[in-house]
Amino acid sequence: MSTFNTRFELLMDAGNGAQKAGDILIKSLAKQGCYVFIEPIIPAEISPPKRTSYSMSGVVIRTSDAPVTCIGSQSDLMIVEHEILLKRRLEDKEFASHSTVLIDMTDEPKAKDDYQSIMQEARNQSLTVIPIHLTEIAKQNIKLMSGNGRNMFYLGLLSNLYNVPADLLHSIIRQTFRKLSDDKLHLNIEIFNEGAIVANSISLDRLELKGVPKDNQQMLLDGNTAMALGLIDSGIRYFSGYPITPASSIMHTLAKVFPNYGGILHQAEDEIAAIGAAIGSYYGGTPSATATSGPGFSLKQEFIGFAMAAEIPLIVINVQRGGPSTGLPTRTEQSDLFAAAFGSHGDSTKIVLSVSNVQDCFYAPHVARYLTEMLKLPVIIMSDYQTSVSYKVFDRIQSYEIQDAHSIPESILNRFGLSKISEAIQYVKSNQSLPGEPEKMRRITGLNTSEDGKVAYSSESSQRAHEIRNEKMALVRRVYSSVNCIGSESADICIIGWGSSEGTIIEVVEHFKSKDISVAGICLKIVVPLPENITEILSKYQKVVTVETAYGDDANWTPFATLLRAETLLPIEHCVSGATGRPLNPMDIIKQVSQLTEGVAI
Amino acid sequence: MTTEQLITMKDLKTEDPRWCTGCGDYSILVGLRKLLVKYQLEKENTVNISGIGCSGRIPHYLNTYGLHGIHGRAVPLATGLIMTRPELKVFIHSGDGDSLSIGGNHLMHGIHKNLNCVYLLFDNQIYGLTKNQTSPTTAHGHATETQPEGSYLKPINPIRFAIGMGATFVASTAEWLSQHFLDTVDKAFNHNGFSYVHVAQRCPKYNPEAWRHKDSDWMTFLTHEEHGIPIDTKRLPDARLVDHDPTHLESAFKISENVPQVMGLFYKTDTVCYDQEVRARVEATHKKDLSQLLDAYVI
Repeated sequence: MSTFNTRFELLMDAGNGAQKAGDILIKSLAKQGCYVFIEPIIPAEISPPKRTSYSMSGVVIRTSDAPVTCIGSQSDLMIVEHEILLKRRLEDKEFASHSTVLIDMTDEPKAKDDYQSIMQEARNQSLTVIPIHLTEIAKQNIKLMSGNGRNMFYLGLLSNLYNVPADLLHSIIRQTFRKLSDDKLHLNIEIFNEGAIVANSISLDRLELKGVPKDNQQMLLDGNTAMALGLIDSGIRYFSGYPITPASSIMHTLAKVFPNYGGILHQAEDEIAAIGAAIGSYYGGTPSATATSGPGFSLKQEFIGFAMAAEIPLIVINVQRGGPSTGLPTRTEQSDLFAAAFGSHGDSTKIVLSVSNVQDCFYAPHVARYLTEMLKLPVIIMSDYQTSVSYKVFDRIQSYEIQDAHSIPESILNRFGLSKISEAIQYVKSNQSLPGEPEKMRRITGLNTSEDGKVAYSSESSQRAHEIRNEKMALVRRVYSSVNCIGSESADICIIGWGSSEGTIIEVVEHFKSKDISVAGICLKIVVPLPENITEILSKYQKVVTVETAYGDDANWTPFATLLRAETLLPIEHCVSGATGRPLNPMDIIKQVSQLTEGVAI
Repeated sequence: MTTEQLITMKDLKTEDPRWCTGCGDYSILVGLRKLLVKYQLEKENTVNISGIGCSGRIPHYLNTYGLHGIHGRAVPLATGLIMTRPELKVFIHSGDGDSLSIGGNHLMHGIHKNLNCVYLLFDNQIYGLTKNQTSPTTAHGHATETQPEGSYLKPINPIRFAIGMGATFVASTAEWLSQHFLDTVDKAFNHNGFSYVHVAQRCPKYNPEAWRHKDSDWMTFLTHEEHGIPIDTKRLPDARLVDHDPTHLESAFKISENVPQVMGLFYKTDTVCYDQEVRARVEATHKKDLSQLLDAYVI
């Protein structure tokens, strides 16, 4: 049980350093033994004009002395740089009636009326609104740094409000800004100290964010960095990509780190070229991967089908963002499920993995490599914006330094519900040699072929190729048998989701458990194919509730719910969904599930 | 090397090609086999990569490794292979539509990256395999299924495109001139970088008018004592010969104005190959032990 569990946020104009301040703070919280989950709020544009609603940038930080599985529903405290950001953020309704807003009054002379009306609006919504003023020293220092440094003031406020030792923060500020001149570093620390002094005069109950310092090593990682490191650890040695939000940072990390381990990073001329080069690399026997997001994923579909038919291994990472079309580049969604499951023309067999947390991002490439090399089927790893940018503190994970796909440990496969494939695997083409192997020369094509690899148009050869590819899928289904149940298996209600919904499902199940209500939870990490016994598993429950970050209504079921209904023929009638661009909100699920559990107060 | 290990024309055969009678692709296939025999290229270390179209079938008929990809995208496949397996000899085969229409972006970047491979652009000025549609090199006014009153635009000049993109080896030849074709591909093969060879190719089915292969009065050949490709003047009695120094970029650009009537080596220069540069940089990077991978992320 936790002694504290709180969420707060810092919102500033883009480019003013809110995320930097957040990074410094969570590093200190982690050192204090806290668990943290941080979600950056990033505009899709780089530096939109200041003092606009679309300039909102910041961090949402959730912390506890017990593990934190998701970003949660509501912030207890917000610091906002000016009134426009407060107005914008109030729209998202992610605050409770007890929440507090600290609003910087520096801009008030420019917009007196707006300040008054927006602060009043917040108060009308039962929020406590506390105006804050920069000190003269802070103002002077900010002026000396050409307007920068206000983030340090807010960091100082937060350190005081949450009892984080100033000397700890000082040392992390020094480390973070080690490239700055001594003068500038000093100015920043002074501003920080001023923030802490101002906080002294704020009458708010103080929460001491302090956990039990851990004996074992702790790591701080975001999903995309973990994915990049996982690619390296899984033995991938070639990566080709094309810039796209929010997948690009996988490529950025690899650009820095990959050469140290002999890996080659290729920035391709477009999305199609990026997947083509990844296939070309695997064709030559060098394990490879590519990563993209929605629009790029659409462009890659033809090559996914080619790799499938040609039986060339292929790993594609899709960091989903809000769709359709260009959609919401810096917001989260899980709505590419169908594009992954059914994308590419014809009967297109492929495996779709997903990641539920930062640690999964590290291990998904291992599983993908195992499956794609064993089966010669494309493997798609579905991440999403939320997972890709969110940082988490967790126990140091184990790396495995994989050389050969066969040596990937069973424990990693188990993490995704799989066990090793022991059955013999049949391929469409019996010769699977690689360039360089003498006397085994072969030509690979996307055309239909017979067993000897030669182009064949006969009805028999086409049916045979389809059967073999589908049998590979059936094989995966048979080794996909250990679906993890969260909470009580004997419950009447089961909440089921996939990928990044896991943290929220855990939180919801825990919530009901604390009210002595038994609810089960399942989060699938492989969505195509579904487990062989999925119908059996779900039949145990009277009510199955699907949760996913995608659009759905009574006439148009969400993708995951549709997939489950189609595969199980079960009456899955309850579906919590939303395409707001924000992560799944545990409170929303709790409310809807509570309606199913009669007479239960939440 | 023992006699048995010698690579012969016969060794390079696979199945019988499925092109139309009189198709220029047969001559290209024979020419490629001759080149492989001449250099005794190891079959297992030679890779033919193609896109879609009649040209795309070449890999199937050469007993080396082959990769018959998707339409317009042979270059990306080749990129991944060349960057990771530099010891392999890579040939790319692509048609005029495959190269200059659906695959234009990739060709542009293959040239810009100077990927180390031989690129053959089979130009029959028509979409053949999809049955007679206008291609980017179809002659202005030529009637096709999609532009039955005659094509609207002047064709793309494939040589100027390549020179403009900074290609390091730009030549044009015709498949029915077997020796000139072989000499051109030979030079291309010996060039380090993206060796771009435009090949006039007959399509007797849909575009027999494109190339008057029995006549030579329309042809101009570039010659040069040191760098040029030799010309059999007896076979080409009416062709015009122009002395051209292929190291000279400006005159290459000027003389390419009359493409596709001009053949020979337009331009050749030496510069870095992207694939080799990337590898060199990776090789020069200090190597770390994999067990250190996560150290930087521990707090």
